[in-house]
Amino acid sequence: MAALWTKISAVLPPSEEQFPLQFSDKVESSVVEMLRRSRQQLYVHTTKNSQILNAQIILDFSWEKLNMGTWRDVDKEWRRVYSYGCLFKAAALCQEDPSAEEILLAVKTCDMGLLMGAAIMEDILQVIVRILQGEVRKSAKEEKEREYPQVKRSKFEPPRVPVIKEEQAVPRIRCPSLESFNTNYLLPLRPVILEGIIDHWPALNQRPWSIEYLRSVAGCRTVPVEVGSRYTDEEWSQTLLTVNEYIDRYIEHKDGGKAVGYLAQHQLFDQIPELKEDIRLPDYCCLGEGEEDNITVNAWFGPGGTVSPLHQDPQQNFLAQVVGSKYIRLYSPEDSDKLYPHQSQLLHNTSQVEVENPDMDRFPKFAATPYLDCVLKPGEVLFIPVKHWHYVRSLELSFSVSFWWS
Amino acid sequence: MRWFGFGFNAFGQIYDHDKLSKSEKIGTDEDVKVSSPLELTTGTDCCSKSVRIKASWSRRASLHLGGESCLCLAGFGAVTSTESSGALIKHSRGCTDVYISESYLTLAFPDRVEAWDLQKEEKTPSWSEEIRSQSETSGPPLSLPLVSGGYIAMKPPLYRSLSPHLKAKSLALSAAHAILLTASGAVFTWGLGSHGQLGHGGLTSEEEPRVVEALWGMSMTSVAAGGWHSVCISDGGDLYVWGWNESGQLGLPSRGLRKALQQQESAGASYQHTGKTTADEQQEGEKNEEVFISIQAFPALLDVTPSCEVKTVSCGSRHTAAVTSKKSHLTFDVTMANLGTRIWSVQMSHCVWSSSKKSRCVLLM
Repeated sequence: MAALWTKISAVLPPSEEQFPLQFSDKVESSVVEMLRRSRQQLYVHTTKNSQILNAQIILDFSWEKLNMGTWRDVDKEWRRVYSYGCLFKAAALCQEDPSAEEILLAVKTCDMGLLMGAAIMEDILQVIVRILQGEVRKSAKEEKEREYPQVKRSKFEPPRVPVIKEEQAVPRIRCPSLESFNTNYLLPLRPVILEGIIDHWPALNQRPWSIEYLRSVAGCRTVPVEVGSRYTDEEWSQTLLTVNEYIDRYIEHKDGGKAVGYLAQHQLFDQIPELKEDIRLPDYCCLGEGEEDNITVNAWFGPGGTVSPLHQDPQQNFLAQVVGSKYIRLYSPEDSDKLYPHQSQLLHNTSQVEVENPDMDRFPKFAATPYLDCVLKPGEVLFIPVKHWHYVRSLELSFSVSFWWS
Repeated sequence: MRWFGFGFNAFGQIYDHDKLSKSEKIGTDEDVKVSSPLELTTGTDCCSKSVRIKASWSRRASLHLGGESCLCLAGFGAVTSTESSGALIKHSRGCTDVYISESYLTLAFPDRVEAWDLQKEEKTPSWSEEIRSQSETSGPPLSLPLVSGGYIAMKPPLYRSLSPHLKAKSLALSAAHAILLTASGAVFTWGLGSHGQLGHGGLTSEEEPRVVEALWGMSMTSVAAGGWHSVCISDGGDLYVWGWNESGQLGLPSRGLRKALQQQESAGASYQHTGKTTADEQQEGEKNEEVFISIQAFPALLDVTPSCEVKTVSCGSRHTAAVTSKKSHLTFDVTMANLGTRIWSVQMSHCVWSSSKKSRCVLLM
């Protein structure tokens, strides 16, 4: 695998002098010294272990800075330092004939930099992770074909599909014009399901999304996963897993466990550009005032039974369903007082009520509050107007893409 | 008095890996991580009975007391002696106390306190103030970062005032929170609360000192602060811990520490073995109903076995080090809970203790 290091060094600056390391005063000079040492080690022969050690020192120090205070307060310079640490560690792992495990660790390291760091050297971590994924796929093909593991199918339990009553169903419309969507739904802030507007997505056509497809495109990549029934529960937590690990454990339940894990609210398409190629920005977003760059695109991938508690968001939302189906209920912001939002600063946009099993004694006004609901199926896009309360439960394996725009 | 050091040494804080200059080979792994205690040389021209040592991430400050007390700096920036660091050292003659963080060096003199910016090479301190005459303040002399009327913080504004009603006796600081011990043995905390490090039972931050009610009624004798955790010792020699435990820094069962140790073990073994992922082992742990504590929001009494008195305690950013005494012997055990490195114990006598960020600790014997 000496060829791997050749590919990596080809994308690095040709010499130490041409390798930029500029930071503001916020970064202590002792840290800059460690960064300089790591940079030097790329161009002067040093042991792999020594390089990894130095890179880890940079990572540990900057990681502590990233965890001090709230994420918003973290100075971008420390995220850059963290990314440099990831770069040096990944580069070190790729030297001297790396094993398959080392290559996977290098991918994970790049992912940590992409998730927690800030772009450096023209997004070099993206460039490197693409090279590494190429190596991973190559060696996967070269390996003897693994026995295809028997996917444990749990006893088939049909999902609780709620009956949608027509008088409270979210209205549907097929391929409306920009003008008609604007007039009838955006301006009056009325929810609607748009049909036919994502039929052209490669994710539904040439490269249909499936478990196998996701494993092949992103299996070795590390992503954040929410563990626990809902984010308002005490046992709820977040963890980092590779896509393969997530699917093994929380979709296919290979370990026999029953815990719920949800790959939720993650900007997967920034992290894995190949997947971005499979979707398109809905044209209707141009009706907003915001810039296209400010549109947040999130992936929502999980098994049946994932629940997003009733909550509201500060932006308009197009929720596009690609795989599987979801039950969604919507309440108007005018009825907020009947939805008993949490008092705390952290959760004031979330209702205390369990929508499909409300506590009538604690929340008496809830039962009579009007709502709209639907079962959103593949190819459909739900328009959730800004501040509209929404509750989502997946009915089966599901992959949705949300677009938050203004 | 002999000092020993172990841990992080990438800047030569523990011992100068000699001939380390910009153009030459970078120090070996053994130079960067000192795994066994190594006796410190504290400078040949400074020879005094009593040395006080404080450490930051990249430096060690040794204050030689008695007679003409003076300061020696080891670690980052000390090898290349610039004009101004020479000036700082000369200037430090006569100082009675030192406190060092990554950015600032604070010196206490009989008549004043000064803070020097270690990032800039300047000939004067960034901040300086005269101390009010001793008669105004009763009680034992304050040790840094406490000064008369307040304390010196780790970042500007450097001087922060404290209410005299608190009767501050000693203060421990991290980058984002503070723990104060009062003359009556009560503990107050303030600052960032995100990881339970304030000990009030929640995750909210406090702007003003707030008493740790869970310890009310017990008299504490010393306090220490880590990056996201806090510890204190009662007058009976019990150790109380609270805050973040992801790295095992509280000495309580830690999922994060368990994972790290497992990863170390599997890194050692061939990757072809069982193929168990850490996720599997975690699942097993859960099946065995192990309770892991990630955040301890109220002070917890740490069960130290075999049972003994805790004499002193000190914290790094994600570790804690305590010196205990076995009542039947005069030897002191030192045990450390630390992320990633082995948990080990060392026997020595008469330990006092100073530790700082990362795995860096310095011992007095």
